This record gives sequence, structure tokens and C-alpha cells, in this order.
Amino acid sequence: MSVRRIIIDTDPGVDDAAAILLAIASPELDVIGISVVAGNVGLTESVKNACKLVSIAGRQDIPVYAGAAGPLVREQVFGKYAHIGAFPDEMVPPSSVKPKSLSAVRFIANEARAAAARNEKITICAIGPLTNVALALRLHPDVAAGIEQIVVMGGAFKAMGHRTAWAEYNVYADPHAVDIVLGSGVKLVLFSLDVTLQALFTEDDFRGLERRGGEPGKCLAALLRAFDRSDIARFGRPGGPIHDAMTVAWLLQPGLFAGKNTAVGVTRDGPTAGHTWADFHRKSDHVANALVIRTVDETGFRQLLVSRIASMGIQSPSRNEKVSATI
Amino acid sequence: MFKTRIIVDCDPGIDDAIALLASFVSPELEILAITTVSGNQPLETSTQNALKLCELGERTDIPVYAGSHRPLLREPIRGQYHGTTGLGSCNLSEPTKTPEPAGAVEFLIERLLLAAQEEQPITLCALGPLTNIAMALKIEPSIARGIKQLVMMGGAYREPGNRTLTAEFNILADPHAAHIVFSSELKIVALPLDATHQVILTPDHVARFSAVSGRISKAVSELMMSWDRNQVERYGSRGGPLHDPLVIGWLLAPEHFETKSVRVFVEYQSELCMGQTVADWFYKTGLEQNCQIVTQVNSASIIDVFLERFSRYQTVAAP
Repeated sequence: MSVRRIIIDTDPGVDDAAAILLAIASPELDVIGISVVAGNVGLTESVKNACKLVSIAGRQDIPVYAGAAGPLVREQVFGKYAHIGAFPDEMVPPSSVKPKSLSAVRFIANEARAAAARNEKITICAIGPLTNVALALRLHPDVAAGIEQIVVMGGAFKAMGHRTAWAEYNVYADPHAVDIVLGSGVKLVLFSLDVTLQALFTEDDFRGLERRGGEPGKCLAALLRAFDRSDIARFGRPGGPIHDAMTVAWLLQPGLFAGKNTAVGVTRDGPTAGHTWADFHRKSDHVANALVIRTVDETGFRQLLVSRIASMGIQSPSRNEKVSATI
Repeated sequence: MFKTRIIVDCDPGIDDAIALLASFVSPELEILAITTVSGNQPLETSTQNALKLCELGERTDIPVYAGSHRPLLREPIRGQYHGTTGLGSCNLSEPTKTPEPAGAVEFLIERLLLAAQEEQPITLCALGPLTNIAMALKIEPSIARGIKQLVMMGGAYREPGNRTLTAEFNILADPHAAHIVFSSELKIVALPLDATHQVILTPDHVARFSAVSGRISKAVSELMMSWDRNQVERYGSRGGPLHDPLVIGWLLAPEHFETKSVRVFVEYQSELCMGQTVADWFYKTGLEQNCQIVTQVNSASIIDVFLERFSRYQTVAAP
């Protein structure tokens, strides 16, 4: 099996925590670093949370880098769940891991350029505002050549009204960065709210995470319970989404998803700044610049996430063990 | 003698060239590096021109770092008065000096962090679009503590624009970078068109520079003659405005300049007014001042300062 080298660019964040743990739990992926960006919560808290997550995953060797403290151009906005701040110690124990001194932006650029020089490419899972990734792409023209794909959680096409009536949070937080990434020519895979809201996690899943007694599963279940994202009025059924983890799940099992190559754009400024559009019906002559994921096998995604993370920190059998459905 | 430590960020460019040549023979200035940016010319040409000028001025001791290859968001625009090479009719030989391996943004971050740590902040001179400086500030905001001040050529306030109706070239070329810089905590001195249009380098001046500039006389003459706009109606005489050199002029002889401290805003949304700089002259916004705008220049005196500097090329010794 060839192991894919990935950087997770993230603003943890509870659903970021699920994505990071899922990636670390998966032998198909080599997480070469975690680059942190201000987003859901401020940079200091995001960095602290990222350090805690690599610690509970038993992977203190994965370097954590602090990146942009705010968006490129617009004024800073935090997530709806910004009150989470740093994860409480009683939910996720404190960590001795410290971020590296190098900026996350330079880490991404250095890794991509080094990969390009070896005729290789890295994958970036971008699950926060795209500020770090955009800055890295602008830093040198050969950064793009070292990136196989950027798998992004962001945007909303049909599922409007999440952070604002017209925009999804990650895009709203830094629309200029999104514009840079959309225009970069790098292969993009986009997980918008249209698809992330199709998979809802309930108390059954949380119990599944804890079932085997591993610390990562217990911590994630505690976080998911404490910051409940269910919205029965909107979703029409119980449960809450775990947006960011879908990007990692797609790398592991792309067969769980279906999408369409589409031209995508973003509104940078004005009263609807952060709005994303997708030309699903080829009404314009814009060239397709993203694989827009539109549907997910909900059960398959939930099983993948729950079983992989529940197995973390368990001595045997191996973390590859196929566990039976817990839902 | 106390030296002002500077880094010159530029996109040479004829007027950048004159500014660099003036700085090379000014021992009050310790030039730590030249950083180049996409602007008047594509990055590769800007960088080559910076290297050529170091050789012309016999200042190959100054490291040159190549920076941003394009603006943050807008597509690149180029200068219109610099000829195909960026140096008008002045054909300098291909440089043997090469740029440093590190990029300009990385260099700025590391050098300015060191300056902050040593508590010896550096003066940044910006003669082109502000892309490099904005990138460095966004990647590592704490570099601000390593910057004593930013002295920049750019903007147009009561004067109309020079590239569009409302915008000056350096700001228009990367208005988002300018917005980032003006939204930072940097102490900024700006030389806008309001100032630079007061200092027109006339054919008479060119003859005088050519006469005094010793071993670089031919190059200076070619550079300066290429700069003549031949728009008497607009500038009041033949010649061209001495934009970028005034940044160096301000550092050498601030007594010839008058400034006013204001809050400056940069338009980056409207296509009609893209890149316009707007000053709060009468404190309408209640926001803190972020810029010292040069409003008046004593043109004759500052040209005399430059003449005296260029006469130093009659003697060989570099400082």
C-alpha cells in the first residue's frame, strides 16, 4: 500500500478534531504536519487544541505549526462555536507538545517545494479558513507543483444559511484566500455544506467512539456531546454533522462519495462576501476548477469514522481491525 | 556616524534605478539588502535590473533577494514608462552577480525578527507594490517590532491618479497588499503623487546630472532621458516626476519635506476607484492616524541633494 503524505491545515475546532484523529488513525495516510490557522477559535487556542490532539493520539512526533492569526483582507470573524475556545482539560487532557517556531505558511510551502523537487506531491486537507494555504501558494510559483490536491471543507451551494444567510463559515472567514486557492490551478476537492449536512451523528455514534475504551474516542465523544450540533428543525431528524472529517474520509474511501467537476467561484467583497457559486449546469464558460462532492454514503462514512477512531489507543488487535457496525 | 539601516524593496524601473544609485553613495544609509517584487516589470526583470544596478554602482556587497512573483489577488499590471528592459534606453551588461537563494519574503521575515530580537529595528523603503511586505506581515505579524518605519512611494490624495483616474500605479498594482500594510501597526511615511509631482526632472536637470555623475554619467543620462514624459500641459514642463528617489531623499534630507499625519484607507473593492488612497484630513472617522503623508517638497533643494550625491561617482570609493 502506498502511503499518502498529507498536511492537515486546520482550526480546531471539534469537527477538526474528528478529522485529525481519523487521519492519524489511518495507516493509508502519513500526517507530516498540522498547520494551524485562526478560524473557529483564535490562533492561540487552535494551536493549543492541535497540540492536545496529537498528544491523545499518541503521536507527539507529528509537528504542529502556527500560521495566520487572521484573514488576508477582511475583518476577523470567528465560528459559531467560538466559545469552545481551548478544549477543557477535563475533556481533552493537557499536552506538553509545543508548536514549532517556523510559520505554518512556510512549512506548507517548504514541504510542497521539497516534494516537487523530488518529483513527488503532497496532499493538503484544508478544513479551516484558507489563509495559510493561499499565502503558501503566493509565496513561490513552484509551490503549486508540489501539491497533488487540496481537499477543502468549505462553501455552500444548495444548503445555504449556516454562518450567514449566504455563506459557509470557512469561506466567509477569508473569501480572498478562497479566491486565490480556486484560481491556483491545483486540483481541488470541495466538501460543501451540501454534502456535509447529509451525514448526521447521534448519541449512538458517540457511544460507539467510547465502546473500546480508547482515549481518543472518549475525548472526541465528550467534545461532540458538549458542543452539540444537532438542529432537528433544520435537518428534519436527530443528529449533528461532522463537516471536516469528510475530507479525510474521502482520501480513505472515495467510493463513499460522488461528485462532479464544476466551475466554482466566490464573492470576495460586498454584502454577500463569502458566497460560493458552482456552475453545475454549465451556464458560463468558466473552466471546471474543483471536484464538488455532492453525495455521501452516510452509513459508510459514520462507520468508517467511528470504527477507526474507536480503535485508536487500543493495544490489540491492530488499528486496522474491521469492527462491526456500531450504529 | 550613526547609520540608518534600510532594506530597499523595489521593482526597477527607471525611477527605482535612480533611487538605488543615490542610496549607494550615501554613507548615512546602511543598505542591508535589496528585495525585488513584481511591479513595473515582471519579477525576473526587476531582479536582473537590481543586480545590474549593484554592479553599475559597484555595490555588489549588497545582497539581492527575489520576492513575490505576482500581486495577491489582482492580475499583474506593468509600468508604462520604463521601456522593454525596465531601464529605458540604458543597456547595462548582463550581471555576473546572482540573487540570494532565499526568497525576499522569507528574508524579510527572518531579518526583521532578528532586528526585533536585537531591538535594532530597520527602516523599510518601498518603491514598488507592497506585496512582499504584506505577505511578510501576514505570515509573521511579529516582524512589525523589527520595523522602525516604512517609507514608501505610493498613493494619490488631492492629486489625480497616474494609472487610472484615481489610482497611483504602486497601489493599483496590489491594492490588497496596500490595504494589509495600512491596516497594520507600522509607522508609515508615504510619498504620494501629491509630493512626487512637485519634483520634475527637467531636461536641464538631466544635463546637470549627466555632467556631474562621473563614471556612471552615461547610464544616468540614458536613464533620465528615458524618463521625460513630454507632457508639458500636465507637469508644467518637459521631464518626468522623480517618484521613487524621493524615498531616499526623505531619509537623507527630511528638512526639505513637509508632512501631515492622517488616517489612510485603500479602496480594493470598486473597479472604478480600485487602488485609490483616501486620507482622513480632518479627523472625520475618529480612527487613529496610520500615516505621515508628504504634502510639500522643496524641489530645488532636493534636486541639489541628489546632484551632490551623484557627483560622488566622480570618485570611485564606495562607502
